[in-house]
Amino acid sequence: MKPSQTTSRRMALGMTAGLGLAAGLATGRSAVAQTTAPMTLNMACMNDPFATVLVRLAPLYAQRTGVRVNVDILSYPELLSRITADFVGRTRNYDLSTMDIVWAGQFAEAGHTIELGPMIQRDSAEIGLDDIYQAAILGIGNFRGRQIAFPFAAYVNVLAFRRDVYERAGLQPPQTMEELISSAQRLTDAPNNMYGWAANGRRGPPVAQDWMTYNAQIGGSILGTDGRPAINSPANARSLTVYRDLFRISAPPGAVNYDWAARHEAFRQGIVAQHQIWTISIPSYENPEISRIVGRTGIMLAPTAAGMAKRYGIGGWGLAINAGIDERRREAAWGFVKWASSAEVQRQFLDANVGVFTRKSVVNDPALRARFPFLSVVDESLTNGDADFRPRIPQYPQIQDLLGTAVNSVLVGTADPQRSLDDAQARAVRLF
Amino acid sequence: MIGLPALLYMVLVALWPLGQGLYYSFTDYTLTRPGRVNWVGWENYTDMFADPSARRAILNTFVFTFAAVGLQLAVGLGLALLLWRESRFNRIALALMLIPVTVTPLAVGLMFRAMLEPDFGILGYWARVLGLSPTRGFLADENLALATLILIDVWEWTPLMALILLAGLKSLPTDILEAAEVDGASRFQRFWRIIVPMLLPAIFLALVMRSMDAFKIYDSVFVTTGGGPNDATNVLMYHAAKIGLEFFQIGAASAVSTFMLICVGLLAASFVLMIRAAESRLGAR
Repeated sequence: MKPSQTTSRRMALGMTAGLGLAAGLATGRSAVAQTTAPMTLNMACMNDPFATVLVRLAPLYAQRTGVRVNVDILSYPELLSRITADFVGRTRNYDLSTMDIVWAGQFAEAGHTIELGPMIQRDSAEIGLDDIYQAAILGIGNFRGRQIAFPFAAYVNVLAFRRDVYERAGLQPPQTMEELISSAQRLTDAPNNMYGWAANGRRGPPVAQDWMTYNAQIGGSILGTDGRPAINSPANARSLTVYRDLFRISAPPGAVNYDWAARHEAFRQGIVAQHQIWTISIPSYENPEISRIVGRTGIMLAPTAAGMAKRYGIGGWGLAINAGIDERRREAAWGFVKWASSAEVQRQFLDANVGVFTRKSVVNDPALRARFPFLSVVDESLTNGDADFRPRIPQYPQIQDLLGTAVNSVLVGTADPQRSLDDAQARAVRLF
Repeated sequence: MIGLPALLYMVLVALWPLGQGLYYSFTDYTLTRPGRVNWVGWENYTDMFADPSARRAILNTFVFTFAAVGLQLAVGLGLALLLWRESRFNRIALALMLIPVTVTPLAVGLMFRAMLEPDFGILGYWARVLGLSPTRGFLADENLALATLILIDVWEWTPLMALILLAGLKSLPTDILEAAEVDGASRFQRFWRIIVPMLLPAIFLALVMRSMDAFKIYDSVFVTTGGGPNDATNVLMYHAAKIGLEFFQIGAASAVSTFMLICVGLLAASFVLMIRAAESRLGAR
């Protein structure tokens, strides 16, 4: 590329996207080692807030490298079924895909996506591996040492709470699960439609995933140390009892049918004092068009049971490359993966109010810390991140389904915690 | 030879995929290990009947289909009779009535979910506060969730039922009805002895169409309850989609689908028998 062309491109970008964006792109160049021959890649992308930003940024990558990336935004079930059909049928409709943290086991077993280990090793200096949180590298897209997706967006489980509600009650935000349970009860004022806490209660993935989060924070675990199901352990039964009681005493009546969207809506409507969320949802609370709690939300570390080691749930998405495509497309796709997960591009995501945190340099950037005070919580959570509170194994979908029914049946009062988990355990062991 | 293209079309588009599905239902075909497909005989079917969640799905699907389609037929026939007379008001009413049919079931489910939400939904909140609904709301109560889904389906599809029946009514020969009226037949006699027998083909069409559709209920379950609370709204299509698209167990999902196909076939056949029996009974009078 000629220097004059580079300069004019920078100027053009600066004119269209602003100085910050241009500066980002200028440094972003280091993440793209070589310019690839013009081609078009197709990417299946989860319909999370990062998707629209990626659509907006992809043309900038095309300008720099000649590689166009069509980003096809799909819902969660649609994404999973489409890419699976594409990979199994070898139809090669998608070169790249976002991959949920919990799909790693399934996809690794099937061999649908390429093992990125050798490429990561080859380009480690360019990628800046040391800049990526260990929990993200080991958790997202990694299954038993095989890296089948590259960490792109790490989500951190944090506690979102209403500062004004806590202040009015003269309480401090909870540092432990015990304090959370106690404050949830004290902040509940049902006649005035205010509830101290909320979580997902709806049958299926919503309730299974939320309970697994709290279960880990209370000291439970879905798998035993031998890697086999330990669903009906005394610790899990205790934690499910706590979860049920929180629903009975402190949650809105409709919470037994809440999924993520309904729970966020309840919080935005101002009827819930606190709930645990993925960091990706934080900006929606400050949008006055949809939120009644603008400027009244605090973000803090998700509390764990007193005396427990620090353990913060992380989730998120990796970028995976279809194993069915040829070598040339693989390299082009890998180039895009490196660029999309670079620190410079992550800064641009933050500029768009979308947090895809895998980079220490972004999370610890003083300028960004000043704009987004919750980044200190993100740093602490990722430093002590736990990607395995939901078991990332091939049997995960079935285990999630068993828990989704078992926990929901406890919440609606048709089963007691121990009996319900016993039943789930009996069915889970048959999967191994 | 003239029928060959139609035959080829049938074989390629209908029979071949059906046969493939039937074959898969006797295998352990799983997308996560597509290279290994083993014949497992009736195992997928026996597993399905041994699974309490699947058994509940079978029961719920039949209850949903009979209740929803039965209500749609009753209300739809009433509406069709009301709109039978040609007038400007009736034409406008019919056009307005058809609006729910044009909305995709997924959107209908989302709309009712938002309205019935007991904490901030416009209907659900006041129903709870006024004591008209369970504390958890209609969709989270084990005794009412399926009934609520049935009513949502009735809201959406009754106009279609009414439209089909109205088309049937409009095609009836008026001279027979006028002659009966001149002969002194009462309204009830005209309805029961003339209109209903002549309307049976339209009723049959409406019943078969709606039953096949109701038996495959999925969208509204997916967005409103996720099959819960517990297994209260778990239905066969939802169960099959979960096994096939979440667990990728194509063999097991094919067994559920094949079972559904047999059920729908039997349902349609039973309607034919019922209609024939009704025709011969009414014709004999």
